[in-house]
Amino acid sequence: MASLDDPGEVREGFLCPLCLKDLQSFYQLQTHYEEEHSGEDHDVKGQIKSAVRSHLSDFKKHRAARIDHYVVEVNKLIIRLEKLTAFDRTNAESAKIRAIEKSVVPWVNDQDVPFCPDCGNKFSIRNRRHHCRLCGSIMCKKCMELISLPLANKLTSASKDSLSSHTSPSQSPNSVHGSRRGSISSVSSVSSVLDEKDDDRIRCCTHCKGTLLKREQQIDEKEHIPDIVKLYEKLQLCMEKVDQKAPEYIRMATSLNAGETTYRLEHANDLRVEVQKVYELIDALSKKILTLGLNQDPPPHPNTLRLQRMIRYSATLFVQEKLLGLMSLPTQEQFEELKKRKEEMERKKMLEKQASLESQRRLEERRSDLPSRANGEVVYLRRGSAPLRKAEGWLPLSGGQGQSEDLDPLLQQIHNITSFIKQAKAAGRTDEVRTLQENLRQLQDEYDQQQTEKAIELSRKQAEEEDLQREQLQRLCEREWEREREQFQAASLHTRTRSLDFREIRPFQLEPSTEPCTHLAHALDLGSSPVQSSATPKTPSPSSALEPIRVWSGPPALGQEFLPQSTMSQQREVPSLNPFEEEDSSSPTAEVSTSPRAAEPSCGPPSHILKEYNPFEEEEEEVAVAGNPFTNSNSPAPNPFSEEDERPVPGNPFEEATCTNPFEMDSDSGPEGEEPIEEELLLQQIDNIKAYIFDAKQCGRLDEVERTAFAGQMATPNLERDDYIGNVSGGGCFKANLDVLPPPTPSQSTGSPGLQVPDCPAAPALAAGRSLL
Amino acid sequence: MNVVLAVKQYISKMIEDSGPGMKVLLMDKETTGIVSMVYTQSEILQKEVYLFERIDSANREVMKHLKAICFLRPTKENVDYLIQELRRPKYSIYFIYFSNVISKSDVKSLAEADEQEVVAEVQEFYGDYIAVNPHLFSLNILGCCQGRNWDPAQLSRTTQGLTALLLSLKKCPMIRYQLSSEAAKRLAECVKQVITKEYELFEFRRTEVPPLLLILDRCDDAITPLLNQWTYQAMVHELLGINNNRIDLSRVPGISKDLREVVLSAENDEFYANNMYLNFAEIGSNIKNLMEDFQKKKPKEQQKLESIADMKAFVENYPQFKKMSGTVSKHVTVVGELSRLVGERNLLEVSEVEQELACQNDHSSALQNVKRLLQNPKVTECDAARLVMLYALHYERHSSNSLPGLMMDLRNKGVSEKYRKVTTFILVEYGGKRVRGSDLFSPKDAVAITKQFLKGLKGIENVYTQHQPFLHETLDHLIKGKLKENLYPYLGPSTLRDRPQDIIVFVIGGATYEEALTVYNLNRTTPGVRIVLGGTTVHNTKSFLEEVLSSGLHGRSKESSQVTSRSASRR
Repeated sequence: MASLDDPGEVREGFLCPLCLKDLQSFYQLQTHYEEEHSGEDHDVKGQIKSAVRSHLSDFKKHRAARIDHYVVEVNKLIIRLEKLTAFDRTNAESAKIRAIEKSVVPWVNDQDVPFCPDCGNKFSIRNRRHHCRLCGSIMCKKCMELISLPLANKLTSASKDSLSSHTSPSQSPNSVHGSRRGSISSVSSVSSVLDEKDDDRIRCCTHCKGTLLKREQQIDEKEHIPDIVKLYEKLQLCMEKVDQKAPEYIRMATSLNAGETTYRLEHANDLRVEVQKVYELIDALSKKILTLGLNQDPPPHPNTLRLQRMIRYSATLFVQEKLLGLMSLPTQEQFEELKKRKEEMERKKMLEKQASLESQRRLEERRSDLPSRANGEVVYLRRGSAPLRKAEGWLPLSGGQGQSEDLDPLLQQIHNITSFIKQAKAAGRTDEVRTLQENLRQLQDEYDQQQTEKAIELSRKQAEEEDLQREQLQRLCEREWEREREQFQAASLHTRTRSLDFREIRPFQLEPSTEPCTHLAHALDLGSSPVQSSATPKTPSPSSALEPIRVWSGPPALGQEFLPQSTMSQQREVPSLNPFEEEDSSSPTAEVSTSPRAAEPSCGPPSHILKEYNPFEEEEEEVAVAGNPFTNSNSPAPNPFSEEDERPVPGNPFEEATCTNPFEMDSDSGPEGEEPIEEELLLQQIDNIKAYIFDAKQCGRLDEVERTAFAGQMATPNLERDDYIGNVSGGGCFKANLDVLPPPTPSQSTGSPGLQVPDCPAAPALAAGRSLL
Repeated sequence: MNVVLAVKQYISKMIEDSGPGMKVLLMDKETTGIVSMVYTQSEILQKEVYLFERIDSANREVMKHLKAICFLRPTKENVDYLIQELRRPKYSIYFIYFSNVISKSDVKSLAEADEQEVVAEVQEFYGDYIAVNPHLFSLNILGCCQGRNWDPAQLSRTTQGLTALLLSLKKCPMIRYQLSSEAAKRLAECVKQVITKEYELFEFRRTEVPPLLLILDRCDDAITPLLNQWTYQAMVHELLGINNNRIDLSRVPGISKDLREVVLSAENDEFYANNMYLNFAEIGSNIKNLMEDFQKKKPKEQQKLESIADMKAFVENYPQFKKMSGTVSKHVTVVGELSRLVGERNLLEVSEVEQELACQNDHSSALQNVKRLLQNPKVTECDAARLVMLYALHYERHSSNSLPGLMMDLRNKGVSEKYRKVTTFILVEYGGKRVRGSDLFSPKDAVAITKQFLKGLKGIENVYTQHQPFLHETLDHLIKGKLKENLYPYLGPSTLRDRPQDIIVFVIGGATYEEALTVYNLNRTTPGVRIVLGGTTVHNTKSFLEEVLSSGLHGRSKESSQVTSRSASRR
């Protein structure tokens, strides 16, 4: 494959034209191509492999012959119309008008037409003949049509424009019957005035009128761009933008998540915000398209609605597919950590390299030392003394060096001495051997003693740990039981949201200038930093996890009293944040310790939290009962994830119910068949927004969450806003109650109380927490 | 030689040629099916095709901001509809594609109707068949023959479908047909006629070995469509019925609303693509794996989603997860229903006897087994009838043939008149020895006998899949250049000297999924040979019996009238 870069190389054989793989035979190449490349896009996109035949030139030839005739006819009519309207009709006398009219086109002789050619009625005194001013033909009054001056002007001016811009007006009219009925009725309403004078209208036959109306329609269509097209064009632009930017962002995010410093985090963040804004725009635009003309009377044709729904649907698919592909960025701290980790890794790698170099060097050194050992002096080794000097005495065997580094110093010593003994024996120094053996024995005794001590300690630790675990288990059980009472799954979401919200608030530490709630962050700082410090010592020895428990067993009130005043006040301000601290501690430590709960009490001012802990449990329950929208929606709702399982997969409409598949929808099955799409779309949208919010929350961007939630609200048809809010905030079940539709009011949707919930789900907890304090 | 790809290319080309902007796809009843087999809605939506309309639907609205892509069969009605449409265009611009050859006069009348110059393209794109699998196509014609001869309308449709296939694959083949079938000969001639007439179209770059079109008749092998199947695709079709990749599950007890009808398409369902040719037992274990995989990804308990990392993983996997959840529930439902039916209808036992009837030559044991099963109340009338049919076909000329007794048993079992009629009819008119050109049951040459003997010694690997369709033998001979010319003559003077490489087999009266599997395996195992199988339709037992009945309608009514007159005269 590298051969491409190497211009000098010429390859022969059965090469695959796409991947340049050398296949041994024709057949293998053929099968390779079919297997590997047949599904690839460029195959489909590129020149078609199957046979086709075009009839276009034939078609155009036949069409041109036909078209010319019509173009000529229309142009003739318009030129005459122009002549008829060129003079000032209102101020001219009837006779003069008539003379001019007659000069434009020769009128058919009255005698030649005894019957109306259109309706077949006989002409008489009462049923008088009328002449078409455009073609001169005769008809009765009933069959006569009129062209108003504004229409005439429109037609003539438009054709002038088109004549000037295009060399020939390509469009040609056609006799039409649809417009006829309407004009007849309009004629009858004004017919009483007609006989007197035609000062502002021109008489003509149905045929000419039809031709002209057709022409008018064409002019209108050319100028008129429906709203949907404008919106759609914008939508497409946005999508293109996403297609451009998203890959760039993904590249950045991958690099950043790997702890690399090729891109800057702020830059990536900016890009992310930009891309997300485009997504919101797409969402908003497609939503606008969806609701186009919904309030109109008469309602739009079902097909229009279907088109709008399909556009919305595909936009949703687009957003879902692309947005969810956007990985989240690390927060500043995470990024620092990642960087550090990466650096550490690199340093470690370096160190390892160095170490290996070093050991190699030492090895060589030792080898060169070996000869000097023979005449060196005997060194008495003391227990716990520093390793022997290299220049003199016995050397430990080099083979053991590598492993012994990690071992207990005692073991190392023992090892060394054993090797000394061997060396001494080999050298035949028996007395030295004896002293060395004595040393060895002492060392071994010491080592044994240490081991027993360790074992005792270990078992004690284990016992303590067990206690701890038992306690935790009990607490967990309690929690579980409580939760079960207020619907198990719902509660889980509740906690989850909280844990996310913590993250979402965190960034204020990074950008405190804009945010008024820095005290929150401050409080959180208190909460989060001890976690880290307490989590670190825990890793090497589990015994440290015991500490919080001991504190807990102490009198909690006392602990509270001893709290520094400043912390106290902050805690009072934001007491509800304690749950987040708790959540926070549990999530990072989850990776470190086997039991996340163990870390809980250790965070923040411990005693205070301890006090806070149980109230919080109660509070959660209270909140649920209190009818807060946040939890309220939870309680009746099943877990949204389980609910989603039951839902059809929006990604695969062909797999869904019949009605969503237009391929099999009979044209007349119409509206009944379409309802599910609606539902489907809505459901999808909800999912969409949910994903949005999850995503945004994860990256810790409160403002985004807010915006997204808002956008979500906008995007969700008002009809089930309430359900939706419950859904977004609590993650509760969404039930598309299409039957019960409250009237949509935009102002309501923006000012809805539910909106606050996704922004700051802490609010209810906050309030409850305050009251408890 | 991938028919799915060929059709897909056509459709993609159409959509691409129309440029950017909102589009509507105008189709007729048949092209709707053709398109839906190769494109999913979401796929086509991404190409800005938002509406799908039938050309014959009356209440289409004027939407001048849409471009129309018309994909239509060149029938008289469609041309008329199109003329109407062009006279009063509802869309801004029209790209017209016919799925087959259209006459010059039709082009002219269309051109004359296009007074507003809205047509931007008129082409023939030969996607005039249903692409079922990459190597299997169908024309969805049920009841192509009347008695032993073609229904004229269906003959022309079949000719069109087959020539379109040749054009889409760019093959100008030599034609061989089954001599014993008049219909096969007739079709071969018609195809040849089209090739001669449209010689410009069929001018492709010559390949070293010309492709071969082999035309067969279903009546030569009436056994295959009568057997119960155990590979996924075939089994689903046999027990549930596949109609343009759609499966109707509405009769499944306790089915949820979303699963009333599911789509099984290898194009966008990986699990199906990987499992469609595997047998039922393997599917079971694969489904289990799929479930487990799914359970792993599925976030269910609160503990699992507590940490941010979990959430993140969830959100990132979310689309896959949703797609997977759809796939899982679909396949679990389908396989669940299959196994329910297997249990309910006692299909394991039935199938074992069927296979014995089809592949072995022990009359007394076969008769005993059939009799035993006919007494079993769990065996449905369809299964009972097919057992008797298989018996009748195999032991037609056996000295101790006891068909009348079995027919009596069928009657006693309460099997409906229709099934009993088909049973006699299949023997007499459709697939009996008199009709068949080749011997279905006893191997002819020494090699085959030894092979069967060896097989007998080795023991049978799987009792339920012993049967190899007769097509396998035919194709095997064809590939080896040993297919007898006196049974399968060439049309025209020229014959193929080399072994064929590109083979198109067409079965008049319908192919089966078992045969599709055979072709799939042949394609896999024989390098350098590429086979595409087609049929007027793809049969399961039920549709096959329908086909037999409808083709017999003519002859049988005559026959039955004779019988009645005879019985009347006897009285």
